[in-house]
Amino acid sequence: MDDGKLIRVENLRGGYGDDLVLDDVSLSVKVGEIMVIVGRSGCGKSTLMRYLIGLARPWSGRVVFSGQDLWADPSVLDRARKRWGVLFQSGALLASFNLMENVSLPLVELTRMSQEEMELVARRKLEVVGLAHAAEDYPLSVSGGMQKRAALARAMALDPEVLFFDEPSSGLDPITSHSLDLLIKRINRELGTTMVIVTHELPSVFAISDRVVMLDGEAKGVIAEGTAAQLRDLSTDPRVKSFFNPEKSEQEEQ
Amino acid sequence: MERGGVPVRLESQGSKVVFGKSLSSDNEKRLRAFFDSAFEVLSKRREVVFDFSSCRSMETAPTAMVYNVSRRLENIGVDVEWRNLPEEGRALLASFERQTAVPKRISRAWSVRGIVEDIGESGRTALEVAKGLWKFSGRTTLATLSALLRPATVRWKMVRFYMEQGGVGAVPIIAVLCWLLGTVLGYMIGYQLKSFAAEAFMPDLISYAMVWEISPLIAAVLVAGRSGSAFAAEIGTMKVRQEVDALEVMGINVFGFLVTPKMLALMCVMPFLTLLADMAGLLGGLLIGGWYLDMPASIFIRRVNFVLLPIDFWWGMLKSIVYAVIIANVGCYMGMKVRGGAMEVGRATTSAVVTGIFMVILADALIAIAFMHVRPPLTI
Ligand SMILES: Nc1ncnc2c1ncn2[C@@H]1O[C@H](COP(=O)(O)OP(=O)(O)OP(=O)(O)O)[C@@H](O)[C@H]1O
Ligand SMILES: [Mg+2]
Repeated sequence: MDDGKLIRVENLRGGYGDDLVLDDVSLSVKVGEIMVIVGRSGCGKSTLMRYLIGLARPWSGRVVFSGQDLWADPSVLDRARKRWGVLFQSGALLASFNLMENVSLPLVELTRMSQEEMELVARRKLEVVGLAHAAEDYPLSVSGGMQKRAALARAMALDPEVLFFDEPSSGLDPITSHSLDLLIKRINRELGTTMVIVTHELPSVFAISDRVVMLDGEAKGVIAEGTAAQLRDLSTDPRVKSFFNPEKSEQEEQ
Repeated sequence: MERGGVPVRLESQGSKVVFGKSLSSDNEKRLRAFFDSAFEVLSKRREVVFDFSSCRSMETAPTAMVYNVSRRLENIGVDVEWRNLPEEGRALLASFERQTAVPKRISRAWSVRGIVEDIGESGRTALEVAKGLWKFSGRTTLATLSALLRPATVRWKMVRFYMEQGGVGAVPIIAVLCWLLGTVLGYMIGYQLKSFAAEAFMPDLISYAMVWEISPLIAAVLVAGRSGSAFAAEIGTMKVRQEVDALEVMGINVFGFLVTPKMLALMCVMPFLTLLADMAGLLGGLLIGGWYLDMPASIFIRRVNFVLLPIDFWWGMLKSIVYAVIIANVGCYMGMKVRGGAMEVGRATTSAVVTGIFMVILADALIAIAFMHVRPPLTI
């Protein structure tokens, strides 16, 4: 692991079919930091996430995880996946499993824990996200926000080294969303978990981020990088400015 | 009377269309009727004015209709001028003009060449499917074998579930269908044999037809229709909901998790379904023999006993295991291929059944050739 960089993206190009979404993107994530990815809707944040977690192979460029190219050979990706947890934007819980079974899924498949132990862990994780009472419910019969939280619990089930969250607080009420921010901060502090988080919520960005990377759909890549306060106060780029000061830019427009 | 009075009228001998107070969905029907009848007149003019001076509100849908009329007029060489548009109308018109300025994807006209191209295209698709299926089967076989070497990793609960769903659920329909087929075949065979007084051989033909060919095939076709399609729909839906992606990033072997239980379940139930189909078919023959050919049941059974060897049953059950592998593979493969939305899931379900049955019959042909070499000669 060179100079504390856990993840390095080097000159990544990628997209869907013939549509180029990300062009020549480079960035890195340090061990133990919370990196937040922001950007307007449709600019390619979820797509970047797909490349970070090895769901799609870059057209060109590399994604390097703790010193190894994810696509160098299959075993790299297999090993890396055991070290991280992922929350999808849509939650992506298995519809035919109840919440508890969903949360214990990584445990069943990847550890040798006994049934009782797994249940303890799964219930604890559900309790952390405030879903202890709904452990036996099925994903499609709970609310969208509850699905999101259950998916969060599943991502954290194995206390992974790295957590990837795609819009963890979208669809949550302000109170839950705030307590989620606190939870994220606490996990990061206590377990030293590295986190890559996509979010739209400005308050969250300021509350949790160590560093912010902003993507832009036109530029098909990173247009700004720094701490949240730096981007808000020092950036001269109008796209960055308007994102971090939405009210002001609206006034200017009028 | 509607709001705003007459929604539209013609003036200046048909060179001016004057719109009423509002273009709303309430009077859309009347607007449409008006243009249907006035189009003829308008199209004879060189210039037409659409006058909106008394128009206060314009909704999107009726305005789109008017816009469409004006485009049709312009296409046949009539100049249309939209005059005195209110604010919201101007915004709508500008937007419609922006939309139509974008060149549309031209859909290919129907032509012989197009059809030939389509056929060529579908041939290529078939080839691609065959290639993909081949690779997919390799991976599922590997996953299944390694799962069998470590039985603790198999999700037996799911295996049981699919056995119940695909096996037990299919029992009544397979039994009834094969019984019916046995009856019909027995009747037709008896009818022909009777004409040269050889009806005593009816049991021979029924036995060979049912046990060698029809029972395994009918069982496979029904299982493809019931389970193959269900597998494709299940996996396809999971794919659409990103559940498969989620499994993958959790480091779970998607093949072992999703495909292996289905495959094992079908491999377990298919031989028994085939045996059941054999019995039902023979029973049909027995009954029709008694009813139509006056053949006592004991004679029928003795004859069947004499001509059929144990290998006939074993072979049918063996080949049904091959069919099970094919059906499970095709169903899961079609599900995994789903990209996009619900429509794709529907398509995957259809191709799971069609391709599944096609492959089963293809395999059947190959196996039949092998069988003729393996089986001891017929006994008369
Ligand atoms: N499965 C897909 N197939 C084809 N194109 C896609 C697909 N998913 C996304 N895109 C396209 O890629 C671009 C980036 O999408 P992406 O989902 O990464 O945006 P995003 O930044 O996550 O947006 P949001 O904030 O709304 O979630 C969009 O233009 C979108 O149309
Ligand atoms: Mg997204």
